[in-house]
Amino acid sequence: MEFHTQLLYAHDQILLALMIFIIMLGMGASLTIDDFRAVARRPRGVFIGFLSQFGIMPLIAFTLATVLNFHPAFAIALILVGCLPGGTTSNMFTYFSRGSVALSISMTTASTLMALIMMPVLLNIYTGGFTAQITASMQAAGGGESEFVIPTGNILSSLILVLVPVALGMLLRRKSPDWAKTAEDTAGFVAIIVIIYLLFTAFIRHGGLFLQTPVEIYIGAVGIGLSGFFFGYWFSRLLGVYPLFQRAISLETGIQNGPVAFAVILLSFQEPVQSQMLWLAILYSTFIVLSSSVITLYFRRKGKFDWDVYKNTVIHNRLFGDDYVTHYPEGFLPARLIKDPSQGSKPAQIRR
Amino acid sequence: MDHRIITGNLALLYKEAAERYDSLPAFAIRENALKWKPVSFRELYRQGLDLATGLIELGVQPREHIGLFGDNRFEWILADYGVQLCGAADVPRGRDVSDAEMAYIIDHAGIRVVFVETGHLLDKVLRLRHQLPELREIILLDPDGIPKAGARKLLEVCEMGARLRDSGDRRAEERIAGVRPDDLFTLIYTSGTTGTPKGVMLTHSNIISQIRSIPGDHNCNDRLLSVLPIWHIFERFMEMYTISFGGCTYYSSIMTLGEDMRNVEPTFMASAPRLWEKLHEKILKNIKTSHPVRQVLFHIAYFLSRQFKESEYYLTGKNLKLGKQSWWKRLLLVPFHMVRWIIVIPWYGFFNAAVLERIRLGAGGSLTATISGGGALPIHIDKFFNYVGIPVLEGYGLTETSPVICARSLDNLVVGTVGPPISETSIRIADPETGEIFYPGDNHPDSGKLRRGEIWVKGPQVMKGYYRDEVLTERTIKDGWLRTGDLGIVTDNNCLKILGRCKATIVLSSGENVEPEPIEMRLQQSQYIDHCMLVGQDKKFLAALIIPALTEFREAGFAEQSVEELSVNPEAHKIILQEINRMTSVANGFKSYEQIRDFRLLPDSFQIGHELTNLYKVKRHEVELKFNHVILELFSAKSSKT
Repeated sequence: MEFHTQLLYAHDQILLALMIFIIMLGMGASLTIDDFRAVARRPRGVFIGFLSQFGIMPLIAFTLATVLNFHPAFAIALILVGCLPGGTTSNMFTYFSRGSVALSISMTTASTLMALIMMPVLLNIYTGGFTAQITASMQAAGGGESEFVIPTGNILSSLILVLVPVALGMLLRRKSPDWAKTAEDTAGFVAIIVIIYLLFTAFIRHGGLFLQTPVEIYIGAVGIGLSGFFFGYWFSRLLGVYPLFQRAISLETGIQNGPVAFAVILLSFQEPVQSQMLWLAILYSTFIVLSSSVITLYFRRKGKFDWDVYKNTVIHNRLFGDDYVTHYPEGFLPARLIKDPSQGSKPAQIRR
Repeated sequence: MDHRIITGNLALLYKEAAERYDSLPAFAIRENALKWKPVSFRELYRQGLDLATGLIELGVQPREHIGLFGDNRFEWILADYGVQLCGAADVPRGRDVSDAEMAYIIDHAGIRVVFVETGHLLDKVLRLRHQLPELREIILLDPDGIPKAGARKLLEVCEMGARLRDSGDRRAEERIAGVRPDDLFTLIYTSGTTGTPKGVMLTHSNIISQIRSIPGDHNCNDRLLSVLPIWHIFERFMEMYTISFGGCTYYSSIMTLGEDMRNVEPTFMASAPRLWEKLHEKILKNIKTSHPVRQVLFHIAYFLSRQFKESEYYLTGKNLKLGKQSWWKRLLLVPFHMVRWIIVIPWYGFFNAAVLERIRLGAGGSLTATISGGGALPIHIDKFFNYVGIPVLEGYGLTETSPVICARSLDNLVVGTVGPPISETSIRIADPETGEIFYPGDNHPDSGKLRRGEIWVKGPQVMKGYYRDEVLTERTIKDGWLRTGDLGIVTDNNCLKILGRCKATIVLSSGENVEPEPIEMRLQQSQYIDHCMLVGQDKKFLAALIIPALTEFREAGFAEQSVEELSVNPEAHKIILQEINRMTSVANGFKSYEQIRDFRLLPDSFQIGHELTNLYKVKRHEVELKFNHVILELFSAKSSKT
């Protein structure tokens, strides 16, 4: 499938840029310097999250693109999505899925910084075959000696550019927590409005686009998020991670920072691939909201019991002192929750 | 999975809870905001056995009545443990008991041993002692209080019992084994909203049946925040219920409630409507003073939530059904609600998560359900909390039914009703005059649903009777059916809606019957009206006694320092008059004979224990007595003021 017209007009691009700015500002407004320090305090969880985000996710993207036989532009976009750092959306979903928000924030912070190195490296590793395909088709179309390469330098500079509003947001948080809260609330709302606007205009201008888009693109756009949730959940489970952290890692793996993808695509790629890449990013951003909502409702139900135990022990320690140990009757706690460190200073135990 | 312990009596419940829940906290006592002292099930039971043994040593017999005067504190529960474990029954009453009531209760119940909470109460008993020849022992609960005139300290009795138990005394265990289901666990003197105190006899099987049949799914991860008076059967039942599944009760107070909600993060609590009204006011005030962007976000969120929930209630049959709906109307409305529900859901999802969650966090964020009882919850408050996602489960009951008759559960949440009867319980709706049964009745359309009448109840929670008052008992319970004296209606979806007290009905001289409570509730929705009561029995018109809301008037710029000063301010009268006209206009659905033709501002707020019950219900006869001169003046000479 080829795009014969540009997907986004100039004013859409400005709108998108504005949205990226607002969202990244909102993300910064939700962070403090302490969140960065917190990464050092829970290195294990953050490291497992890192493996899951930059190890598993790109691999899933590559596998999906290969198995579903993606057009190279879509393939590169999907891999780009797979290599993204986590966004603040995951923190919100983690909160409602009764996961560890602290870990989610730490992972978001760590991955945003690590993305500066990991994204260019991973893109070069996984997209080699697809860029060669594009080069071949360009030359066949009479492009002479022109060659398609991943614009590593541009990607790096656009990533740095994206971090500017994040830094501004953090500054805002320091100056005025009240405005920071508002910025945070607004960001989520703006994101939804803009994505819906983009889908809507795409529908008006290129109504056929939705039908034209091959079904495997949809499968890829939905599948990458769902696979991320699934593998993130079981990978961390295999490593013995506790339920509260497990849910955070699962969501952090599946939910990527969409706005960063938009920024990188707009600033670093040109036509003929840009529109296709953007289209995939838009599809991913749309479906991830839906699939995360469903997963969150599922986690919320499934995690109720361990969350209640976590809450109860944390509150016992808060009110009765850090040394208070909660002993549950035998048979009440499943083996996994006994001495679960996510419960804080003195995790629950069963009665001897 | 349900985790309740069901036993034959409370003493066995305490014993099994100690065995099963052991070191888990049963009660937590507040020292300061972030420092609470836990008492475990095992420890409480051990102390209870010590106290029981001490009481036996003091000569307490099985089934004896033991006075228990005081409010919420750990020693209250310990005293109750002691009483239950020695096979006796307690006669509880709050700190605000009057001299006359205390003397009446001690004498009428034949009390020989009494617990008093504070030094103040101790003085009171000592003052009355000469009238009470039967009274032998006084035990002071307050560990910091000073016992005098032969009174003992609680600790002293416990220590005496502990020494006896150390030397092998097992009389408490024998007493526990001897408790029969039909024995009283408590004898509660209630004046309620009318008349002289009546001793309500509640048995072990009454309270155990409540623990067994109340809907809910709780376990030892649950936290109950306690604010209502413990000697009130509603709060007491909630604490007993919490013991049955191993939850912990945290003792809070009205003063520290907001803070405690955030620190304890209760999963459920019992509360009276007034509490929700206050919380509602506070939330709205916080929103009004918040950032303008967030105000707008809140209003959008609330709007969406209302659309979503209304459609959800309609589609799941949980809307208030006070009338039959024709099939063609349903045919039109079902698709409408389905479409609205689907359109709203993504927006609702987002705003619910981003905005309404903040409001819920103000109440701790962990409340899965809150139970409101002890009075009618105004419907706009009810809706507000359910729409922001704090499910309020309104219940209905009386002290005489220990207490729950009906309760909304999460699966049966029909806003505006008190839900269906709990299991093992049947209700009837009958003509209060003739006793003709409307519901359930085959010879009435829809088997008597939607007919208004007096509520009768039959079930294992119905009291044994009024102590030493067989006439009243026989008048109240006939063939096992207890006449509640409340007016109600059964909705089309089998929920009960309470309409008011039978006896509260005001019959005007024109013969029109006016139910004052709906009008009063409507008036109290005005921010300027704190409390009000309608009067006009046998008069030509309806009038209102009103307590103006001082804080609101002061915020509106009034300089008055007290309700008394406000009550003579003509500007305040003007505002109240406008409010009355606005709230109860014919356009608002009130009939012409329900119009309030005149009113008086009272110089004095209603006080708990005097004009208000502990659950903030107005005691009509008290108000009528106290403000008789105002009422007389209202209706004197002139016929009507326009």
